[in-house]
Amino acid sequence: MSRRFAPRRLSGPTLRLAALAGAGALAIAACSSSSASGNSPTNTGSSTSGTIVWWASPIAGSGPTDTRTVLINAFEKQYPKIHVKLENASTNTDTNRATLATQISGGSSTPDVFMGDVIWPAQFGAHQLAVPLSKYLPKSFFAQFAPGLVQGATYKGQVYGSPLFEDQGFLYYRKDLLAKDHLPVPKTWEQLMSEAKTMQKKGQVKYGFVWEGDSYEGLTCDFMEYLTDAGGTVTNPGFTKGTLNSPAAIKAVTFMRKLITSGVSPSAVTTFQEPQAMDAFASGQAAFLRNWDYAYSYANTPSTSKVVGKVGVAPLPTFAGQSYPGYSNIGGWNMYINPHSKHLSLDLTFIKWLASPAAQRILALKYSEIPTNESVRTSPAVIKSNAVLAIVPQTRLVPRPAGTPNYPAVSTAIYQNVNAVLAGSASPSSAMSSANSQVNSALSSSSGGGL
Amino acid sequence: MRTRKRTGWRRIVNGVNIAGLISVLFIALPLYWMTIGSFETPANLASSPPQWFPVPGTTANYSTAFSQYHFWIFFRNSLIVTIIATALVLALGTLAGYALGRTPMRGKFSLLVVLLMISVFPEIAIIAPLYLLMREIGWLNSYQALILPYTAFNLPFAIWILRNYFLGIPKEMEETGRIDGAGPLRTMWSIVLPQALPGLFTAGIFCFTACWTEFLMALTFNAQTNFQTIPVGIATFGTQDITPFPTIFAASVVAVIPIGILVFIFRKFVISGLTSGAVKG
Amino acid sequence: MAAISTTAERTTAAAPPRGRRDANTKKLARIGWGFSAPALLVIAAVTIFPIVYSVIMSVSNVQLSGNGFALNGITGGNYSVLVHAAVWRYAVIFTIVYTLITVIVELVIGTCIALVLERLTAGRGWLMALLLIPWSMITVINAELYGYIYNGTYGVYQYLTGLVGLGHPVILGTPTGAIAGMMVADIWKTTPFVAIIVLAGLVMLPGDVYEAAEMDGASGWTTFWRITLPLLRPTIALAVMFRVLQAFGLFDLPYVLTGGGPGYSTNSLAILGYFAMFKNLDFGPGAAVATSTAALVLLGCLASLRVFRVQVGKENA
Repeated sequence: MSRRFAPRRLSGPTLRLAALAGAGALAIAACSSSSASGNSPTNTGSSTSGTIVWWASPIAGSGPTDTRTVLINAFEKQYPKIHVKLENASTNTDTNRATLATQISGGSSTPDVFMGDVIWPAQFGAHQLAVPLSKYLPKSFFAQFAPGLVQGATYKGQVYGSPLFEDQGFLYYRKDLLAKDHLPVPKTWEQLMSEAKTMQKKGQVKYGFVWEGDSYEGLTCDFMEYLTDAGGTVTNPGFTKGTLNSPAAIKAVTFMRKLITSGVSPSAVTTFQEPQAMDAFASGQAAFLRNWDYAYSYANTPSTSKVVGKVGVAPLPTFAGQSYPGYSNIGGWNMYINPHSKHLSLDLTFIKWLASPAAQRILALKYSEIPTNESVRTSPAVIKSNAVLAIVPQTRLVPRPAGTPNYPAVSTAIYQNVNAVLAGSASPSSAMSSANSQVNSALSSSSGGGL
Repeated sequence: MRTRKRTGWRRIVNGVNIAGLISVLFIALPLYWMTIGSFETPANLASSPPQWFPVPGTTANYSTAFSQYHFWIFFRNSLIVTIIATALVLALGTLAGYALGRTPMRGKFSLLVVLLMISVFPEIAIIAPLYLLMREIGWLNSYQALILPYTAFNLPFAIWILRNYFLGIPKEMEETGRIDGAGPLRTMWSIVLPQALPGLFTAGIFCFTACWTEFLMALTFNAQTNFQTIPVGIATFGTQDITPFPTIFAASVVAVIPIGILVFIFRKFVISGLTSGAVKG
Repeated sequence: MAAISTTAERTTAAAPPRGRRDANTKKLARIGWGFSAPALLVIAAVTIFPIVYSVIMSVSNVQLSGNGFALNGITGGNYSVLVHAAVWRYAVIFTIVYTLITVIVELVIGTCIALVLERLTAGRGWLMALLLIPWSMITVINAELYGYIYNGTYGVYQYLTGLVGLGHPVILGTPTGAIAGMMVADIWKTTPFVAIIVLAGLVMLPGDVYEAAEMDGASGWTTFWRITLPLLRPTIALAVMFRVLQAFGLFDLPYVLTGGGPGYSTNSLAILGYFAMFKNLDFGPGAAVATSTAALVLLGCLASLRVFRVQVGKENA
């Protein structure tokens, strides 16, 4: 039985006195539980007008062409009585999680709706930091999304996030060099390695293949792709046991290390996050790049790139003997509702609109973000608009093992150990077995994965 | 007088001189690197070999920082919060530092240790309860939400610094003042304080930079752009995947200007200590 | 040498003789409390509640939910999680070693810079302004700047080592390199401030001491070791304390520069606490990390005061 503090609200002066005395410490915690009745808002709200606060980090564009501003304007045009106020969040996911956890657990009623990572649903659901949307929205609402996305936003039978836009891994290549050398776009990792070597030998590029190998979340994404291609998984389907101590996992991480030892990837790749990998490719130094959706337009913008017009994009390769294409890890963003929001019906209206073709088309056609709405995703206009969006329907997706609230600890176990192999300080088999035992202890922890 | 005295240990200083020069280079080179980085295009910034001079240079990063990212708002907020908090810290800290350094209060030792304990407590651990406090008194999204905690968390160390410098001032001087019939505040203000200017300078710079660079509280308490400070503002530059280094560097160059100006204005505080030291002797 | 010792005595023995607290002393003490009251009130109003709260969390079963923290009874479990975690033990050792090395280096270089600065007659203002720029830089940006300098493909550092034939080391790719690289970034940022603290102490030293030493025919080194340095002791103790305090809280640099990696080789205590609290949303062990860190720093600070034999609060009994 949890000892929640009585939902008693202290007035300002009393509080200050209490704080001064120090003894009031616990009583003040009561402030945070002004509605101790559970995690869903008591007042679902039926009003159709008012102001809601949308907390979102920058997506693309700037000033009046900022994606978020454009979306808000379009929404307000259709719903003139609802006003959406934007709160500009940091560009760092972890920082954002920290801020949101503090604010929402602190009882703040703003932001009403927030844009959050696709790996948050289980954690936010378990800690009651987000409203279970499936309680308020019909099955038909969730049926409009591309397959797999809703499943990724589900925890214990409830859907917590409404997919806003998706992201996934792609293979970017120098189409000018491939053409010159009469090489095909690689369909297996082995083929990619040998083609990269060819181009390096000819002095056409300094590096063969750049990707995200730093000790951080992005490495978990990259690793998931090799792991799934090799036929492995991180946990069992019920998220009760780690399955990393497998030949498939060892094969995946051995290959990643081989990319470095063979000279195809620079040893600096162990310190690369998206920007460093992008820079190496955009400055013309690398033949292949594994990166997200944004890389295509970045590589084709003259102020940021020296390879404008020379870039091709394809689904990721797989290991020899597997069926093409390889797996792409799912990234991207969901919309969540703050359980303390006082405008639930307005929040739902806004979220429903963001999932509608009107909003999804803005995201896809204007900003080349990958739409989550299946009808928009597969519409000819969207497919025609952009080389990346054109190949999205051909790719195969794999989510990260984020179905457990302790996912952050699981991911840390993955990227720390894989990074150690990449840097040459651990062997693939010992790293995978220690990753596996860390995954196991994270999964068995009741509170959140410990340290 | 001063010069004569110097001759004795000039040799040490000369020995140290070369080390000093190296140190200055060590400090200046990264700054140079940041400054030229702020004039590069993103494509050139990532080029290899690195460019020692930005060719072609561009000032676009500066205009991007101000027009696209509203750097001016962050700059204004940082100035307001930092200046007020620093002034408060210096005013309250001088009084307390003087009391702890110069008066026979009982329990001084315990008090100083308690102050130390407060300043050693990691910020990450107090951010959540402090948020509750701020929300309850309705201060979220305001200047005072930052000014008050900044003052409170920088005061302990400022008191330590100031007390330390007050201790070094010869006791006779203020006794003279007391005999002349000046009250304790007068004595402190007109006799002791001028002697402690180097200490005030140190405490002031310490507090100014601490407030200027604070991130976690500013991020957590003030979610609205209108009240965000520079470190938080810069964290919203770019997108999840793109870090616009040249723009960040441009903003950083602008952000160090106030401290440069401040040091330049108040440098006499430290230099005048020199002459008064000589006079004392 | 007689003259020297009297002067030195004068500064340390500025206190009135111990004894009965007469009326005047009592009055002065009252004034002291009156002067301190505003500062103490402000500090207490803001800091006591969060600190007490956090300490309580560290000994509770904490569950974070949308309705705040639920504390389900007292437990020592959070601390036993720490003691049994290899990452925590590593973080303690890493943080202590990191603190020791950076503080010593900063102190030595900082004192040298202060001595040079004190001697300069021209351009001191400019030089001080330059020195304080790294100090005033937002730590996150300091980290970004060094990340850029250390970048393994286009960073200027690996370019320079390539020029002199040392190859292209990936500084942040190995534990040793990452730790050393972080230390350099930290020393770059903080040494100037140590220099300013020492400089302010230096210019406040009574000038007559030097004359006396000179009359006694003491050499430069002797004067420095036997007079300047001892007189600077309280100032240096202050600088050390300040740096120990800050180095123990090491957070922004690894957060941005290495993310605690490679592996967990640059996981400081603050990073560990932050990840536990705000990534894993596991506030009990997180608060335990924070509280134990605070206890360790406090010990460190008091020990450093002892080393420098600064008698806190005993000057005036």
